[in-house]
Amino acid sequence: MTSNQAYDVEKIRADFPILGREVYGKSLVFLDSAASAQKPRQVISAMVEMMENDYANVHRGAHFLSQVATEKFESAREKVAQFINADKDEIIFTRGGTEAMNLVASCFGAAHLQAGDQVVTSVMEHHANIVPWQMLAETKGIEVLFVPVDARGVLDMAVFEGLLGPKVKMVSLAHVSNVLGTVNPVEEIISLAHSKDIPVMLDGCQGITHGKVDVKALDVDFYVFSGHKLYGPSGIGVLYGKKDLMNTLPPHQGGGDMIETVTLEGTTFKESPHRFEAGTPAIVEAVGLGAAIDYVSSVGMDAISVHEKLLLEQAMAKLSALEGIELIGTAPNKVSVLAFNVTGIHPLDVATVLDRQGIAVRVGQHCAEPLIKAMGYEATIRASFGMYNTLEEVDKLVTGVEKAKMMFGA
Amino acid sequence: MSLELYQEYVEALEMLDDDLRFEYIIDLGKAAPETPFPEDFMRDENLMHGCMSRVWIIHRVEDGKHNFSGESDAVIVKGLVSMMTKSFSGLTADELAGITLDHVRKLNLGALTTQRQVGMMAMLKHMQKLAAV
Ligand SMILES: Cc1ncc(COP(=O)(O)O)c(C=O)c1O
Repeated sequence: MTSNQAYDVEKIRADFPILGREVYGKSLVFLDSAASAQKPRQVISAMVEMMENDYANVHRGAHFLSQVATEKFESAREKVAQFINADKDEIIFTRGGTEAMNLVASCFGAAHLQAGDQVVTSVMEHHANIVPWQMLAETKGIEVLFVPVDARGVLDMAVFEGLLGPKVKMVSLAHVSNVLGTVNPVEEIISLAHSKDIPVMLDGCQGITHGKVDVKALDVDFYVFSGHKLYGPSGIGVLYGKKDLMNTLPPHQGGGDMIETVTLEGTTFKESPHRFEAGTPAIVEAVGLGAAIDYVSSVGMDAISVHEKLLLEQAMAKLSALEGIELIGTAPNKVSVLAFNVTGIHPLDVATVLDRQGIAVRVGQHCAEPLIKAMGYEATIRASFGMYNTLEEVDKLVTGVEKAKMMFGA
Repeated sequence: MSLELYQEYVEALEMLDDDLRFEYIIDLGKAAPETPFPEDFMRDENLMHGCMSRVWIIHRVEDGKHNFSGESDAVIVKGLVSMMTKSFSGLTADELAGITLDHVRKLNLGALTTQRQVGMMAMLKHMQKLAAV
């Protein structure tokens, strides 16, 4: 451990069983945490413990186990709330980031959007923050406006401000881009939108994992993230929604757990969050997410952020020292998500050579086709660094890229 | 039916270990196509969808025999598409329809991820579809 490192990364790595495995006889170098992060033993054990000892359906039984399960489930909600400085009843559990954004688009759309209304999003969005709005454009006749990005992958704030006309009823933008790593100026975005009484949703799927998020300080209206990128399980996501706003929205799905009374003539719905959680929720996954939040909090989001910055800086410096490396996304405010290409070699060829070295990267359009095209590419390689990656792994990535250059003669 | 070229590939791959198989595919990709794939066939209607790289396959029938030629912008995929199109050219539509997942598996690409094998199956299906219409 060198003095400028935030923590002893080897101690962290020891908590992640999967990092000890080999692929093709080589140690795994996992640089795909932006797609989904690996899970520490603490998360795995919490889920196993729940299933072995404390499992029953929640909010339903009068029996002992149901109460234990309900307490654990609701305590996970409490952990999520504390983690982002929200109130407990502003936390809605979903299946993931995608479902959370679809929920907002569909319920906010039903309550507050009419034909001709506009929603502002951007070119750098994940498809999960484009397609739901396009679906509303089809069904309701709303219009979707896209803020462009510059060559560094920075949002054009002048255009953004200009777009905020009287027809705009919602701004929905990424907190952090899953391709460029760009951290958007969310305080400025929110204050500009609020000055025109426009609510803001932030897609925090990549924002939540790289630093502290405080929804109250941000004054954001909706904040969305998934558990599986935050070292928790898949199958669980979070929608934070301001309580008063959420209670203006109709339910997303109908069923058990979300109702006050049901008669054959009709139904009255519970308030948020339960109104939006129809059916048996992802009980074990919620508890796993709670454990993941305990885990990252014990390490410290600030420390994680310092550690990842160091990895990013080294990776950018060492890769750009090679000939023919095109870094895609060079915003001054950037997290440890690094898209790049090697001039003259298809990204899939590079990624396949890396894979053979045991290095896992993502290749393709990263569910952000409009952005990849806007940056002038068909596909890119993306290396993303998490809390458990090391400087040695950065070096392995660089060596792997050199090897690909050699093999494909570029 | 003659699967001579296919057999040659199977035998060549059998003799190699994983790392060498990988290099073999890359070399095939670098060499391919021996009969040049005409630039003007790299059009959208010849594009195979659902790949991480772009794959074009064209198809000709002569005397009831189906011949294929393919191209990709990724070298590794070009190696695979070249192996697939050469292996299964010169067959009748019925013979081609009889080519199965097992034939593809025997090409024994242990060196490549399952995703590439899925891609090769997709290539086979695509070729069978081209021959069936
Ligand atoms: C920025 C961003 N938004 C949304 C998503 C979708 O999240 P999920 O896979 O949890 O539905 C992802 C992850 O793929 C993402 O990176």
